Amino acid sequence: MSISLSHLTKRYGKDAVVDDVTVEIPESSLTAVLGPSGSGKSTLLKLIAGLERPDEGRVVIEGDDVTDVDPRHRDIGFCFQHYAPFRHMNVARNIGFGLRVRKQPKDIIDAKVAELIELVRLDGKAKSYPAQLSGGERQRMALARALAIEPRVLLLDEPFGALDALVRTELRQWVKELHRQIKVTTILVTHDQDEAMEVADQLLIMHEGRIEQSGEPTELYERPATEFVHGFLGPTTMFKGVSVRPHDLELVKPSEGAIEGTVQSVMELGFEVQVTVALSDGSTPWVQMSRNEFRNLDVDVNSPVSIRERV
Amino acid sequence: MNHTTRKWSLRLLVTLYLGLLVGLPVGYLFIKAFGNGFHAFWVEVTKPDAIAALKLSAEVALIAVPVNTVVGIGAALVLARRKFFGSRSLTLAFDIPVAVSPIIIGVALILAYSRIGWFGSWLSTHGIQVLFSPIGIVLATMAVSLPYVLRSVLPVLIEVGKDQEDAARTLGAGPFRTFWQVTLPAIRWGVLYGVTLTIARTLGEFGAVLVVSGNITGKTQTLPIYIFDAWDQNFDTIGAFAGAVVLASISIVALIILSTLRARERKLHVDLA
Repeated sequence: MSISLSHLTKRYGKDAVVDDVTVEIPESSLTAVLGPSGSGKSTLLKLIAGLERPDEGRVVIEGDDVTDVDPRHRDIGFCFQHYAPFRHMNVARNIGFGLRVRKQPKDIIDAKVAELIELVRLDGKAKSYPAQLSGGERQRMALARALAIEPRVLLLDEPFGALDALVRTELRQWVKELHRQIKVTTILVTHDQDEAMEVADQLLIMHEGRIEQSGEPTELYERPATEFVHGFLGPTTMFKGVSVRPHDLELVKPSEGAIEGTVQSVMELGFEVQVTVALSDGSTPWVQMSRNEFRNLDVDVNSPVSIRERV
Repeated sequence: MNHTTRKWSLRLLVTLYLGLLVGLPVGYLFIKAFGNGFHAFWVEVTKPDAIAALKLSAEVALIAVPVNTVVGIGAALVLARRKFFGSRSLTLAFDIPVAVSPIIIGVALILAYSRIGWFGSWLSTHGIQVLFSPIGIVLATMAVSLPYVLRSVLPVLIEVGKDQEDAARTLGAGPFRTFWQVTLPAIRWGVLYGVTLTIARTLGEFGAVLVVSGNITGKTQTLPIYIFDAWDQNFDTIGAFAGAVVLASISIVALIILSTLRARERKLHVDLA
């Protein structure tokens, strides 16, 4: 179901946390709202869910203007940053909550809960309490609880923020796979550009309450509309007075018609190597290269070297 | 001093301190009350005036505790979930009755509700007598036990946060279901703790009640006032001891029940996370 936001604004006192946001979110997409902390991305999500009321603007879901509709009637699945499990209910009762609210018959609820438990791979945990689950399991339970009501839209607030690195990568893949299966329009909020690039098919970059740019990840990466998007979506370095991607630069042996300098430092990060070069004009651009390229270059700290843009 | 010695001497110190302040006096009270045997104790507590006092105390508690529980939870919800102008002063207002001496509450109630006060004169022309009647006792008791539920529930509500309630809302739950099935279970220990304190204070209040009740034996005498009377006016020390034991036992039993329930809950891991 498509979501369209028009001139959405939310102020706390005088500050606009969400400032005149107008955007279309395509049906069945997996959209990542990406921005630094304090950029208003979580508030934007709460405005869509109705947990916050906008000062101006409209929220339209699938043609329905829901701006004045209470969150309980919006049919939105919302996953909170810290999952907000009902701690006094076991996994099965947590997942079935929305179905009990909808007064579904017990056998239908039981069947649906069992199906969801399998979907989110919590088999054998139906009777466990949230306190007995790991972070990743709690996260999946929260997802199942939100999916139980067959929402028109799924909203995930920093879904992987509180998990350790390994579980994080695993869950990202799983969420992507899940979205492929159920195709519900999903918006997730994150401050991690890798996460956003990896999971989402649409990006929405927020900065100081405004949308800087939206579109497909590669498009944004390759053709950033603003300096902020350019800087936020990947590493940058200053070369000849402009900001460029360090993997768009290369180092060559001296005197091959490039700018000469000396290697200032070398950082080896497994496959990737980052080499910082000191140039005569005082600037110190850094270059990102593969381990093999670095080997072939055969340089060390203080070696003379030339730098140029890759072609 | 090694670690173990330090640990044990610290425990000894705490035990000694508690013993001097609580254990010794209360223990002595129990010994004295049963000094002439259980029968003598039973005769004392079944005297008509003692029964009447116990009954009045129970009746007052039956009104004051539920009312203050509902008011306390309601106020805590409003103060925790809504920021508004004056919310801090409102919290403060709840604390005033326990911050000042109970005697001040009593005197203030007399001023407000006696026939010279404008409200009291209006009430008396409509045939409602507040002072020297059970109504006054209930008012005084509710005033001095006002903040306990609020104070126990408010920090729990703030700590639990709004997320679970918001989650219930997005899942379609209305305010009543959200309160009964999500909020109340999350704050139940705070509520129980507050209610226990309220019961203890309600049954135990002496100063404020004494001032407004007029101390009419068999009519407006609550259990603490009966004990005081037996001790001070009637030189009935055994009666005073017996009454005191009944009063103390109720509070002690309430505290034991609370901590047992809590320990069982902990064992189930339900409250952790």
